[in-house]
Amino acid sequence: MIQFDNVSYSYKKGGGVSNVNLSLEDDEYVFLIGPTGSGKTTLLRLAYMELMPQVGKVKIDKYNSNKIKPRKIPYLRRKIGMVFQNYHLLNDRNLFENIALPLHVIGFEKDEIIDRVTESLEEIGLVGKEEHFPEELSGGEQQRACVARALVKDPDIILADEPTGNLDPVTSFELIKLLEEVNREGTAILMASHNYNLIKGRGHRIIEIQNGIIRKS
Amino acid sequence: MDKIIFLFSEGLKNLWRHKLTAFTAIFSTFLTLIVAGSLIIASENTNKVIEYLRDKYKIEVFFKKDVSDKRLGEIIKEFKLIRGVRSITIITKGDAEKIFKSQFGEDILEILGYNPLPASCVLNVVKKQANRLNIRPIIDQLRKFPEVDEVSYQGRLISRIESYYEKFVKLMTGLLILVLVVSVFIISNTVRLTIYAKKELIQSLQLIGATNVFVKAPFIIEGVFHGLIGAALASLLLISGLNFGSKIIYSVAEIQLEYNALFLVSLLGLIGILISFIGSSRAISRFLK
Repeated sequence: MIQFDNVSYSYKKGGGVSNVNLSLEDDEYVFLIGPTGSGKTTLLRLAYMELMPQVGKVKIDKYNSNKIKPRKIPYLRRKIGMVFQNYHLLNDRNLFENIALPLHVIGFEKDEIIDRVTESLEEIGLVGKEEHFPEELSGGEQQRACVARALVKDPDIILADEPTGNLDPVTSFELIKLLEEVNREGTAILMASHNYNLIKGRGHRIIEIQNGIIRKS
Repeated sequence: MDKIIFLFSEGLKNLWRHKLTAFTAIFSTFLTLIVAGSLIIASENTNKVIEYLRDKYKIEVFFKKDVSDKRLGEIIKEFKLIRGVRSITIITKGDAEKIFKSQFGEDILEILGYNPLPASCVLNVVKKQANRLNIRPIIDQLRKFPEVDEVSYQGRLISRIESYYEKFVKLMTGLLILVLVVSVFIISNTVRLTIYAKKELIQSLQLIGATNVFVKAPFIIEGVFHGLIGAALASLLLISGLNFGSKIIYSVAEIQLEYNALFLVSLLGLIGILISFIGSSRAISRFLK
């Protein structure tokens, strides 16, 4: 599914990742753990090709970072669902419109959009809140909406960057369980977190990153 | 199809979402089109004045005494082929005698016993010509005929009128281009403000796999709506102003302002759409770079 081969990327002002080798199978749930500034976000940005490796290559499905044309990157991202710590929901659109947006981007028909969004809302337990705007939802609900937006297009993989960063422990735990359910249905998940207590003992592979270098996998 | 409907509805909704920018962009377009429309109407009416003046230009050609009527007919046919000649009125020796009698009340045949007046013709030049009308080549061609004795025309006056007209056309064209270019910059910068305010939306769209076309389209469609609304308002104001102004001008100077309302509305709509399209495309394309 995802493969990093000797990938290095460094920012002008310092930081980044160095000589990363890792792979993720089709239905795997992998935690990427490390302190703030260790390179977790950089690794995810390399995965969805917002950053391109300065050395090495990233392969996702048939897309290779060394060969991909910029105009093809949107098509790669359609196969990836992204969940962020700050949700990235659009405040001028209600919940339904936020979740439907990726489907409009891909070009689904109206009826299919309604069916898929309704199904996603049921899956994340937010039925009845379709008309609510993000600011009218709690942090946990916003994050679940973010998961729904990632799931609605039926992605091959979900990349989650500190999705529990703004949530209380109970809501964080519920989110992990929700992602586990998603994973059981066949979607690979790569979730970055700095909270080891939250992810330990769940039976998933843990990759540890420090100062941009993979320490343990 | 649903995707296109979505992009159009997004463009339309953006008008409401970005009220302040929409107002600024519509107002800029409106002002631009008021100036552009006024220039167009001024040019159109100046054309009428120049056509009226050109209608008064006359070139008189006097023929030598020994030119027969048959040869005169042939020469007139050749004159008609000269570029810039619109119509010709022939004055035969007989016609000249009658004109003399009507103007001076004397019969020249009775006084002199013969008709010394030459045959002549009056040439009218073309009226509809967008650029400066140069009368000199016509005169040169007329003088090439050996049968022509003298060519009389208002050379200096025509040259002065045409020179003023040429300067006026250049000034109007320059002003129009300046106004349009400035408005494209204003609209582009206004839209850029919206784009910066919507940075989050654009990033989100890119992260969920939107192509550049998908990101650009709502902003461009929104820009086109700005142009259309600005053009509609400008047309409304200009036509009302023209109806009102034309009555006042007519009551004072008996000059009827002429304009084609449908042409004016279509032209302003087209210019409005074009400058808004260029302005918003420029802004979003520069942002996505």
